[in-house]
Amino acid sequence: MSGQQETIVVKVGGSEGINYELVCQDVAELVRAGTRLVLVHGGSAETNRVAEALGYPPQFITSTEGFQSRRTDRATLEIFEMVYCGKMNKMLVERLQALGVNAIGLSGLDGRLLEGPRKKAIRAVVGGKVVLIRDDLSGRVERVNVRLLELLLGAGYTPVICPPAISYESEAINTDGDRAAAAIAVALGAGALVLLSNVPGLLRAFPDESTLIRSISADAVEAYMSYAQGRMKVKLLGAAEAVRAGVPRVILADGRAEQPVCRALAGEGTVIA
Amino acid sequence: MAKVVECPECGCEIEVADDVLQGEILECPDCAVELEVVSVEPLAVELAPEEEEDWGE
Repeated sequence: MSGQQETIVVKVGGSEGINYELVCQDVAELVRAGTRLVLVHGGSAETNRVAEALGYPPQFITSTEGFQSRRTDRATLEIFEMVYCGKMNKMLVERLQALGVNAIGLSGLDGRLLEGPRKKAIRAVVGGKVVLIRDDLSGRVERVNVRLLELLLGAGYTPVICPPAISYESEAINTDGDRAAAAIAVALGAGALVLLSNVPGLLRAFPDESTLIRSISADAVEAYMSYAQGRMKVKLLGAAEAVRAGVPRVILADGRAEQPVCRALAGEGTVIA
Repeated sequence: MAKVVECPECGCEIEVADDVLQGEILECPDCAVELEVVSVEPLAVELAPEEEEDWGE
């Protein structure tokens, strides 16, 4: 793609401590410099707060392989949409607009941007027993509406994207934001995927930030899974998937720092390639 | 007294704990097939579907 600026996909997590103002300032700098940038975001901590405030506290389930995920019944999905598509998405769009970026906020539902199968049944460990849950509204992104993204990027808009995705049966489904960002990076042929969270990257001895692992070969990700705590396991999986599918590098980096995206692109964090 | 249910695969009688949960996955001690508890009262099981791992946020 000679003559065309590189495409970068940035995912900013929803955990406590992330500095959205610094993220948006950095995104604005890159967009001004001509980078085609897609921002994907989470909203987990805020979803938990709003769910508590509404008297419907969040529940989490653990898969048989040890991955943790939000239990998403219909009421939870609606709270999830209020926070992700409403509060968080519009907060980021507003900040970017104030910085001169023509941001446009979309969920995976809009224009069938992120599409995939809903899980008909998931296995979870409940009180030491393996249980099949059939009414969970979660799933996986298999298709990205690249035409829509190219249309927006080509017209000078900066897409700000969040879950939920849409199932093939047109239901809203909770989907992992890191893996959704990975799917977008693959679909757009992005030059890099930056996953920002509230840690500097993968830590050998969490939470000791001096034990940052600086680089991992995508083929060796399995060997590092034991260092990953909680959602970091899913980030590693998403990163490995993206690299294997053709994204040259994925950087797990610190969303609390100054210039978080530029520093990640300069190699600060855990680089998976 | 433990509840008993018949394995739909091999016909073996399986003893099930009193605190069995709806949706719980059991393994037949005889043929090792995985079974899903589709009803607790009355107790009923069916062959459990194979599912790969995938998770929401």
